Formats: sequence, C-alpha cells, structure tokens
Amino acid sequence: MAVTGVIRFLVTLIAVVAAALVGWWLWNFYTLSPWTRDARVVVNVVDLAPDVSGLVTEIPVIDNQQVRKGDVLFVIDKDRFNLALQQARARVAQAQAQARLASDDANRDAQVLAQDSSAVSAVTVETSRTRAEAATAALQLAQSELGTAQLNLERSTVRAPVNGFVTNLTATVGDYADVGTPVLAVVDSDSFYVAAYFMETKLPEIRIGAPAEVRLMAGGRVLKGKVQGLSRAIASPTAAGGLLASVNPNFEWIRLAQRIPVRITLEDVPAEVELAAGMSATVVIRPPEASP
Amino acid sequence: MTPSLSFFHTVELVGFYLPPLLIWALVALVPFLLLRAILDRSGLYRFVWHRSLFNLALYVLLLGGAVFLGNAQWL
Repeated sequence: MAVTGVIRFLVTLIAVVAAALVGWWLWNFYTLSPWTRDARVVVNVVDLAPDVSGLVTEIPVIDNQQVRKGDVLFVIDKDRFNLALQQARARVAQAQAQARLASDDANRDAQVLAQDSSAVSAVTVETSRTRAEAATAALQLAQSELGTAQLNLERSTVRAPVNGFVTNLTATVGDYADVGTPVLAVVDSDSFYVAAYFMETKLPEIRIGAPAEVRLMAGGRVLKGKVQGLSRAIASPTAAGGLLASVNPNFEWIRLAQRIPVRITLEDVPAEVELAAGMSATVVIRPPEASP
Repeated sequence: MTPSLSFFHTVELVGFYLPPLLIWALVALVPFLLLRAILDRSGLYRFVWHRSLFNLALYVLLLGGAVFLGNAQWL
C-alpha cells in the first residue's frame, strides 16, 4: 500500500513540475514573441496647394480617381497670368529699345571724345556709359520678370506630383485657391507601408531586415513584408513643454509596456488587394533568414 | 521557437476579436476530455494523488503541445 502511495505522489509531482515548465515556456512564447494585433496600414498623403493664387476654373478629376504622376488635377484662372505674361513681354521690348538707345549714345560719345577731346566733356561720356549699363541691367530685370510670369502661368495648372488617388476632394470650380493653402489631397499609392506597434518586451526579438507577415483584417489576406526600421523615440507622458522635466512623484505597482512603432515595408502586394490607409492588420515577425 | 501567423490568428466571433490563445485553449480541451475519459474508464486515476491538480497539469501540458504543433513550419 505504501508503494502505491509513493507512485501516486510521484506521478502527480512529475505531471505538475512538467506542467509548470511548459506553462512557463508558453507564457514566455506568448508574451515575448514578436507578434502584434495592433498594426495599421499607413500611406504618404500629399496635401496639394497651388503655387499661385486665383479662382479655380477647372477640376478634371473626381473624388477617389486614380491619377498618374503629371496628370492635371486643377487649373487656376489663366487670364490674369496671360495678361501678366503680355505685360512682361512688353516690358522686355521696352527695356531692349532703351538699352539700344543708351548704348548707341555711349558709343557715340566715346568716339567723339577719342577724335576731339575738347568737343565733349569726360563727365558726359562717363554719364552716358553708366546710363547704358543701367539700361542693360533693366533689360535683364525685365527678362527675369518675363521668366516669372511664364512660371506663374505654368504653375496655374496643378499636376499630380505622385502616382496615386485623389482623396477627400471637397474643392469645387469657383473656389478661390490661396498660395500654400491645400486644395486637395493625393494619396501616394507607391508608398503604402505598415506601422506595427509592438510592446517593448517584444523588441529584442525584432531585427531590421527580418521578414514579416502581415494579415489584413479585411479578407484575411497575408502579405509579405520586411522590417525597415523601428522608431527610436516615442513621446514621454511626463514630458513638459519647458526646459525642466516634470516628473510625477508616483511609484507604479503596475507598469504597462510601452508600444514602439515598427515600420514594415510591403513586398509585392497582389493587384487585387486594395489597400487603404488606416486598415487594421496582425503582424508576425520571423527571425532573419540565415545568409547562405 | 519561430512564431507563425497561423498561430497568432485573431479569431472573430460575432464582432468580438478574441485573443489567439483562446482558440488554442479550446483546441487543447478536446484531447484533454478524451484522455480524462480514458483514464477514468481504465481506472488509471488510482495512481494519481490529487485528481484535480493532476488534471490541471495535464491540461497545461496538452495546451503547450497544441501551441508547439500549431507553430510548426508545415502549418
């Protein structure tokens, strides 16, 4: 009977010890493995503002339309810029005529002085030469103003700077567009990436360049990715605006692991997968492939 | 142990997104109930000191096994 008692005790003890070890491994695996449910698709958005002010006369795109780099997005009233261009051309013609007259005068005075030094004073020669130089400078000024007028006319047609999609188009024909005030946004469709927020406890397992798997909440598609890098700073909750640190005098019994953003580039996204910034995803990072 | 996306799959149940471990806890329940019935029928619980403690340990072991197999590369 005593033998059975020992066996009974041993069987239970071995099972409990083994379970404790397995439970420990399980907990570590679950909490330290580099996986997160807190990931989202992010994209670069170009806030497109015109370089010149004016009335919007034409918007040849519609909301959510796909555009290629260089496509016309909106046009600002060209009449004013055409008039400015004509004005600048006239100014150039005027300055050319004046420069020609002034340089002819200067040459004539110089020749007269060379033939007969008593016929014209040195001051007059000097004055006409300086006037000719000033007229040449005025011509250059008028030419650069012509260039500016041409540039303004060109910039009144706003083109897409990237391949992508027009998004949240609220501007309409007839709006007044101001210099530097965004009129519409273009989503750069070549710039989709995933920002995965990992608990700091999982970071030691993450290597830059390691392959990553991204499962979108939408459709459960699995995309391949690569760890491009991890953020080296997050905002401190106790950071003060001034020069002095404001430290809360608290001792935390419970400490929450901070989340660090890890940037994951997507590789060969299938054509049928429609990505949108803000989509949720689950991310698992694998150890880096051993280089052969 | 390499984590696998098939293991860390977020299960959706009528709008609730459940933690991945929950599904594996359910998976481990099946062999646990089977084993418990077998041990009960064959009378092997004679060799167990504290039955509840042993059952808990058995379940944790089976859960560990399920997670281990679930992360195997062939899945």
